[in-house]
Amino acid sequence: MIRTIVLVLSAYLAVIAQDFIPGMPFFAGAHVLLLPVIVCYAMLWLPFPAALGFALYAGLIGDLASLHVNGDGVEIGLGWSMLYYVLLAAVLHFRGRLAGLRWETHCLASGAATFFLLAGQYLMLWLRRESMAFDSVIFARIGGPSLASLLVAPLLYFFFGLFPGGFRGRRSRRVNR
Amino acid sequence: MKPLHMLLLAAAIIVAVLFLAFSPGRMRAWQSRFFDVSTPAMQAGAAINERITKLNKGLKTLDELEAENAALAAQNNELLASSQMLKDLADENRRLRETLGYRERSAFELVPAQVISRDSATWWSSAKINRGFAEKVDSAQPVLTADGLVGRTTTVAKDISMVMLLTDVNCQVAARIEETNDQGILTSQRPAGESSPVIAVNFLRRDADIKPGMKVVTAGVSGGVFPAGITLGTVKEFRTRELDGQAVIEPAADFSRLEDVFVVRGAK
Repeated sequence: MIRTIVLVLSAYLAVIAQDFIPGMPFFAGAHVLLLPVIVCYAMLWLPFPAALGFALYAGLIGDLASLHVNGDGVEIGLGWSMLYYVLLAAVLHFRGRLAGLRWETHCLASGAATFFLLAGQYLMLWLRRESMAFDSVIFARIGGPSLASLLVAPLLYFFFGLFPGGFRGRRSRRVNR
Repeated sequence: MKPLHMLLLAAAIIVAVLFLAFSPGRMRAWQSRFFDVSTPAMQAGAAINERITKLNKGLKTLDELEAENAALAAQNNELLASSQMLKDLADENRRLRETLGYRERSAFELVPAQVISRDSATWWSSAKINRGFAEKVDSAQPVLTADGLVGRTTTVAKDISMVMLLTDVNCQVAARIEETNDQGILTSQRPAGESSPVIAVNFLRRDADIKPGMKVVTAGVSGGVFPAGITLGTVKEFRTRELDGQAVIEPAADFSRLEDVFVVRGAK
């Protein structure tokens, strides 16, 4: 229970903190994204119904923090991240159950989740703007945060492990059976 | 997958889709509420960030502080003198307007604000400032520094507002070259392979006599967001294209070091 509360609070704080972390100059100014890393941990650790709830919550706060409403237009509307994290929950929960919650699984899932989140956003903007060519800068802006997520994931994995949880034991038994 | 899990997954997808169906106005209202709830956390983050920045800049010696104090005192005296002179000029201007029967120019008020964070979103260029509707800041109001225009407000909460910067591809401003009076639309574009955007005034006359160094200001079209005469920058290069002319400009405001800004409040 404590770990669940820590996850919920961490997701909220991550959304706020992301804005204060300076961009990475060697990745075209792209920022480190902490939220997908926390979401991946929650997806792998929480039972499926709770993981879905967490996905909706994380998607909502993630979208609200970065939503860009320009007059009467929105390029990426409120709800896309929710939809993405819900689908991620479905994939990670069942794939993750086979692998179990290990730091390697979490690390790889975080990198992939960040990559597909940004690639999906780019695709939506490309369809909307029609003049957004894929070049080295776009590659750096998608690849940079994904790489950063890979590096940050083990730190957060061990951080969350410091707090007592209630689900991991239950899940391990279920997997072993 | 268990049937119950399938059902829950479908329900979660429906919830997400319901949010996607929100109108932009409703999305803005939700975002405004989120900013309201998050104001203490954002302000705490800004305070921590400021402390870290100050530590990075290092402590100053007594001599450096004395020199800075002397320079600031001199600047203060100069500004007081300029302010008095401007007051006299404003009085004279008003008297002359009254004599000629001119309509009084719309009054603008500047609300000082501080940039508390730059947005971490990968695809847009925006910042958050520590002023909101509690200070009568509204959406679509110009934001500037002492050097020139920075952008305009989008979502406004009680004590926090989001500012879309001029460097964002969605920010468009009606611009005028001061010396030649040529008008065009200022937009920001990122050339392929470059991470920094290029700000340019498009749709200018092909035969316009525009030279590097000329000042670019807002044109102030009726019903627009920006009043006339706000400095945007200076012309760096003028190119003729197939159908129009394009003036690449050097923005007056330094977007890499945005700290203190002003929101222009009042009648447009």
